[in-house]
Amino acid sequence: MSDSTFFQGLDAETTICAHCGFCRAVCPTYAGVGWESCSPRGRVHLTQLMLSGTPVSSEQMTRLFQCTVCSACTQVCPTRIDLRQFWLAARAEATRRNLAPPGLGLAQANVANTGNVYGYPNDERAGWAEYMDDAPADLYQRETAEVLYFVGCSTAFSPRVQPIAESLVRLMSAAEVDFTILGGDEVCCGFPLQVAGMPDRFHDVVESNLAQVRAREASTIVFNCPACRLMWQEEYARHLPGVRMLHATELLAELSAAGRLPLNELNQTVTYHDPCDLARNGGVYEAPRQLLAAIPGLKLIEAHERRERGMCCGGGGDMEMVDPALSQRVATTTVDKLAATGAGTIITACPQCVRTLSRGAERSAPGVAVLDIVELLARALT
Amino acid sequence: MMPIFDLPPDRLTEDLVERTMYARDLAPVPEIMTRSFFQTLPDAIVRPANATQVADVIRQAASLQLPVTPRAAGSTSYYNAVPVRGGLVLDVNSLRYDISLDTARQTVRVLPGTTWFELDDTLRRQGAAVRSYPSSAIAATVGGWVSTQGHGIGSLQYGAIADQLVSLQVVLPTGELRELTRNSDPPLSWFVAAEGTLGVITTVELGVRPRPAAESHHLFSFDDLDALGTGVQSLSHSQPRPYTVFFADAGYLALLERAGFHAPGARRQEAGGPPPASRLLSPASYPAGMLMVSFQGEPAAVNQGRDGLARLPGRELPSELALEEWSLRLYHLRNKRGGPSLLATDIWLPLRNLAAYLAGVRKLAVRSRQQIGSYGLAITPEWGQVMSIYPTDERRTAAYLAAIGFTKRLHDLGAHYGGRPYGVGLWNTPYLSRLFSRTDLRELRRRKALLDPHGIMNPGKLYAAPFPLWPVTFAPAATALSLAHTTFLRGERRSP
Repeated sequence: MSDSTFFQGLDAETTICAHCGFCRAVCPTYAGVGWESCSPRGRVHLTQLMLSGTPVSSEQMTRLFQCTVCSACTQVCPTRIDLRQFWLAARAEATRRNLAPPGLGLAQANVANTGNVYGYPNDERAGWAEYMDDAPADLYQRETAEVLYFVGCSTAFSPRVQPIAESLVRLMSAAEVDFTILGGDEVCCGFPLQVAGMPDRFHDVVESNLAQVRAREASTIVFNCPACRLMWQEEYARHLPGVRMLHATELLAELSAAGRLPLNELNQTVTYHDPCDLARNGGVYEAPRQLLAAIPGLKLIEAHERRERGMCCGGGGDMEMVDPALSQRVATTTVDKLAATGAGTIITACPQCVRTLSRGAERSAPGVAVLDIVELLARALT
Repeated sequence: MMPIFDLPPDRLTEDLVERTMYARDLAPVPEIMTRSFFQTLPDAIVRPANATQVADVIRQAASLQLPVTPRAAGSTSYYNAVPVRGGLVLDVNSLRYDISLDTARQTVRVLPGTTWFELDDTLRRQGAAVRSYPSSAIAATVGGWVSTQGHGIGSLQYGAIADQLVSLQVVLPTGELRELTRNSDPPLSWFVAAEGTLGVITTVELGVRPRPAAESHHLFSFDDLDALGTGVQSLSHSQPRPYTVFFADAGYLALLERAGFHAPGARRQEAGGPPPASRLLSPASYPAGMLMVSFQGEPAAVNQGRDGLARLPGRELPSELALEEWSLRLYHLRNKRGGPSLLATDIWLPLRNLAAYLAGVRKLAVRSRQQIGSYGLAITPEWGQVMSIYPTDERRTAAYLAAIGFTKRLHDLGAHYGGRPYGVGLWNTPYLSRLFSRTDLRELRRRKALLDPHGIMNPGKLYAAPFPLWPVTFAPAATALSLAHTTFLRGERRSP
């Protein structure tokens, strides 16, 4: 199918939608719920009702938010609707009409009050570095650097994925990359507010982060979180001409290709899960695979559902805040298919995917480990 | 409330918004045509998890004489799976997967809510493939296609779905669960194209083919329709039989460009901006038609088929274009982007009259100033399935209503060339006399009366036209609407 997609506004696209149901067949949350209203075409219909002024309750509109914005629907849409843009616009319209699920307001309040989506003291953003035995005295916070590592809320605060940050700084240090982190000067990128339908609420965080990046004079910003990278590419990049915005796998693949990342042998069998915001939404498919191929002894078994057809982990689009049970059902389905490859470890490249898939594995595949690719590479570091 | 149904709470809903989603299919129809005459909004939706639950629901519905409309993907456009007398919609999509391949017999058993794409994808990992599939295979379900005519991609080589069926498990309107074969009483053939009016299909067993060892796709453009028609006919009779033959006319190519996509074989358009209206209506900008032929199977047979193409009239386009067109074979709806709405007629047509029909469509398009595109498949050596589509805008309700009437002009044109509608549902019931002989229709009604004496299964479809679709009321109304449509279009073209 053609790569071109279109978004001409909600009114036009709700009319252009053919209601053919191609999207329904690939939607992970429809599979987890089963009602037409939870299919992408059902959500388009719901949006049409909302726009036409038909009374719909916020409970009914929750269907619009029971979506991980994974873009599997966009992949198959025959009328080539950019459904990611559609969902963001529809959620914004629902929020404007006070039809958004109430839980999302808490995320917005947390970001506004503390600078992070969890509502933790923002000064503790670099807490993970303090736990490291080998961290330098400056805890990787330098006045200027070539590369700025934007850690993101999940990696900074969630204990399950803090080792990703530790691993990435070790890898960059080993490759002698001149980098810095922002520590407490970093605030949420705004992605949770974007997908919550609050595009007018992340102006302040964008301004704050832009100021910090400019002060560090970085020419490259690296993210281990694909959602942060996507947000920066969509909302920040136009303000930072010439600044590269790379996912960790892209930077590390460059370092590996340049011979700056010597890796030891790892004799294990893994499968790779394409995170939606890195792969379908972000266009990065090769870099993680190049890195896995660079680890001597590592055997990769690809799942049948991979690359453009990769399965969602269930954790995107604020789903954990809206419907954690559905998020888990989606994660379990995905883990089942990944575990069916026979690999003992699921590798992914996203902190949110690590969190949701880990919980899914605890339930349905207890013997299967879930790791971020950065963690795996750090284990192979010479 | 519907407390009678012994189902878990997440398998029955009476939520109004949810119900509205089951009160439509692909074609949006103005409320004046639906709610004035039919009860398209179901009273409740049930979503049984297995055949036993389907049987329970049907048994309880039968005891109340409550209408039941089975629905899978809902991807047709004649209201085949939309209720017209309220009652229950029975959503079969939970009956999905359980794909069991018998390699020795080359058959597969599968639940009816599995899509054709999913089934084929699974089979290919096991060295097999479906023999044929609908051009909506990503959404269309196995059970849904059995319930319609079941002709599509691959039918030219392997026949209709009816020819491939080995057995069906169905729930009859009494709630009885039955295994049907070709020789059972009733035979499985009764349920093919029955559109859910005789029961609910709960398992399908059908023949498969070995995963093709080779395939080859070719694209040709034609400067005149007669050559296109001759090419399609000769390929449809050729040996080895092609897996599929797809054709389209200049109008289809123009609609592709209108929608913002590349039209294969079109003369290069100016860079930037949408194509001007003059280009979209000018046959000179496009070849008269195009044809895609695909051979699949053993390498020797595929090579033989490819060698035979040298005799085909027309100009072969580069192989990468053919491959791209093959990859887009399930995406003809991309034309809808140029609408934003699209109306269509879907007809069976003798291939010997294909060129004449397409020429007739072109004349009608010029005369009425309505852009029309046609495309389709050769589905047997003698017959094709032809879709004629035209853009409109459902947001302008009066104009859209008139545009719906225009479908009759296309149906009448098709009938003039020996064609008949493909599928019935609700909206094609005015054409029953074109679809079935009196004897055939009597036999269909006999089966319905025998299996569903209370008429609970998908009532109001297939067997008789309900008012206001009686031919005597429908024909003048549709003709008047069609006239209003063409008058409107002429006025629109004249205005600056």
